[in-house]
Amino acid sequence: MNICLASDFFFPNHGGVEEHIYNLSQCLLARGHKVIIITHSYGNRKGIRYMTNGLKVYYLPIRVFYNQCILPTMICNIPILRNIFIREQIQIVHGHSAFSALAHEAMQVGVLMGLRAIFTDHSLFGFADLSAVVTNKFLQICLAFTNHCICVSHTGKENTVLRARMPASSVSVIPNAVNASQFIPNPRNRASPDTNIITIVIVSRLVYRKGIDLLAGIIPYFKHQRNINFIIAGDGPKRELLEEIREKNNMQDRIQMLGALEHSDVRDVLTCGHIFLNTSLTEAYCMAIVEACSVGLHIVSTKVGGVPEVLPEYLNVILSSPDVRSLILALEETIAKIIRHRKGIIYDNEIVCPYEINQIVSKLYNWTDVAIRTEKVYKKVLDEPEKTLKDIMKTILSRSGFYLYLLVVSLCHLILKFMNWFQPSNQIDICHNYNQRSKEKQKTKL
Amino acid sequence: MEPKKDKPWKKNLYENNGYEDNYTDENFLKDLKKNYNIREFTFLECFYGVTKVSQEISCVSLFLVIFHDLYVNTIQPQKLLFNSFVFTGFGYIAYIITDTEKIHNVIEDSKTVGVVLLFGYMFSPLLHTLTDSISTDTIFFNTFIILSFHLLLHDYGIDGFLVSKTVSLNCGIFASICLASRLSTTHHAFVLLVISAEVFVLKPLLFEKIWRPWMLIPMTAVTIFFLQNISQLLGSIYIIILTFINVIFPYIFQKLTHKKCTISGPWDEALIEDLNNETNKKFT
Repeated sequence: MNICLASDFFFPNHGGVEEHIYNLSQCLLARGHKVIIITHSYGNRKGIRYMTNGLKVYYLPIRVFYNQCILPTMICNIPILRNIFIREQIQIVHGHSAFSALAHEAMQVGVLMGLRAIFTDHSLFGFADLSAVVTNKFLQICLAFTNHCICVSHTGKENTVLRARMPASSVSVIPNAVNASQFIPNPRNRASPDTNIITIVIVSRLVYRKGIDLLAGIIPYFKHQRNINFIIAGDGPKRELLEEIREKNNMQDRIQMLGALEHSDVRDVLTCGHIFLNTSLTEAYCMAIVEACSVGLHIVSTKVGGVPEVLPEYLNVILSSPDVRSLILALEETIAKIIRHRKGIIYDNEIVCPYEINQIVSKLYNWTDVAIRTEKVYKKVLDEPEKTLKDIMKTILSRSGFYLYLLVVSLCHLILKFMNWFQPSNQIDICHNYNQRSKEKQKTKL
Repeated sequence: MEPKKDKPWKKNLYENNGYEDNYTDENFLKDLKKNYNIREFTFLECFYGVTKVSQEISCVSLFLVIFHDLYVNTIQPQKLLFNSFVFTGFGYIAYIITDTEKIHNVIEDSKTVGVVLLFGYMFSPLLHTLTDSISTDTIFFNTFIILSFHLLLHDYGIDGFLVSKTVSLNCGIFASICLASRLSTTHHAFVLLVISAEVFVLKPLLFEKIWRPWMLIPMTAVTIFFLQNISQLLGSIYIIILTFINVIFPYIFQKLTHKKCTISGPWDEALIEDLNNETNKKFT
């Protein structure tokens, strides 16, 4: 299959979505598909780049408008997207992240050209405030183009079905994964059990949504327990708050603030700790706790969004409601467990060996599995009939009731028709596939 | 692939081998809550609540009536000033009665009054000519817009997106400064500014404490009386607006409440309780 992954968020940016796209594309490449990625240009990084294993990335010359996203004009990028889809003989357009305008544009152009579109939703949205009402309306329109939708957790699926009015049967749940082999435990990095020190690690962007205000309420409680240390990795607007708390409570020697980390360094920081604390206020899947779990840390996390679905409790996971008091209780419980363990008092299966946990996590969540499941979705949508303009318009109307957008769709359709006349598809060069020759050689040798 | 019925589906991401990825269980959307903690209001409650709005409208109208009388010179500024002082005195006594603790502030408060009056008097020539060069029509139109903003942003006792005490107060004062330039003498302007301070600063403080819905009746009666004196049309418009705001809008609101549909569920962002909360302080 020829697949195009489209999103505003990709390398050199870092984050959950970027990680997902990169790993998914690598696994799809390994399974013999042709994968290209479309994103907007990042500073000097523009044009076509090849990444590991011949992953072709188009950095399109589109200006960033707001928050790493392009301006959603819906019509301006039709020629270039059409050209790429034809050149690369794309069959499936797969957009990522509800915030990415480029993903929505690519899916729209793709479907109008008779391709199939799939959308992966990485985030949760409320229904309460005005901005949510507006974005949900847009999502209802945009997802009317897609053939199938993928969510990263069951809570995410419920959310998407509600806010985009997708039929539940065309929404699949395929979780994220981790490279468990990159997150192997190393208990030697920790403070030795004789020193009695217990380290709590926090790796997260320091922003409101990650519940840093909760963290600021938790830290003072451990002021007088001198054996508890903190390591905080990450940066953001709430960093000042934490630094203030640290200074107020005279804990400069016990709280390390590392600032933003490269993803490759996260494992080394994680291995220094005993407990991983996640205080997010909303989370669709929460990659961080899975990474920490596969390093073998005890996990204390808030019970929000899709978090309760991710890890079973027997992997040293304690979930608590998102308030300071319950989080402190959960931390106390975990600390007591570790101290009991050090003294040699062990109840049945209370603590699982870190290496064992790593093995279990790698079985639960790995990218190959994700790729196989995504592939299944691809096969399914390829069997579906092509969406006609009438179908698309009908779905838009039934889901959002927004008549004006029909004009935009018609305009897009006309522009595509014009492009078909102005630059017929048989005049567009079909590009050669990377490694095609060497692969064929390998086949003949075999 | 047929789902294996012997193993029940669970809402997690690691135990559902054998189920299709797009399988939808009957537990789907089980945690969805509709209209969670929504309160239905009775008509009387709506009516009582909305009296605060009509009270503010009446006050603004009365303020404009006072301006009109000063503008056409049907009232002596000295008389007005004296009356307003008497009313303010009564208001202050009522304010202290609601909270006897405030009695310790009397000296402090009278100092403040002195300072405000002194500076008001000193600056009234300046404020009087501040917007002199602007045409009267512009001034009146501007006043209308600004006072509408004042009504829109005023704090009626409910937290909201639009509520802003400071902006609303500033709108009121700005409107009175605009109007002051239309008056004949500096003394007139000073009296208008004093009255605007009473209406926009002191009155909300007092009414926050002592407002009862029945007070609307005398207030409306007084306003209608003065407006009728100025023109029949004004009085009728005022009555129409008041019926809409006090009777028809609450009725519509109450009728339509049951159509409200808010959705909440596990995907909502958790709210952080106040860290300076008493219970939390005790705990930590």
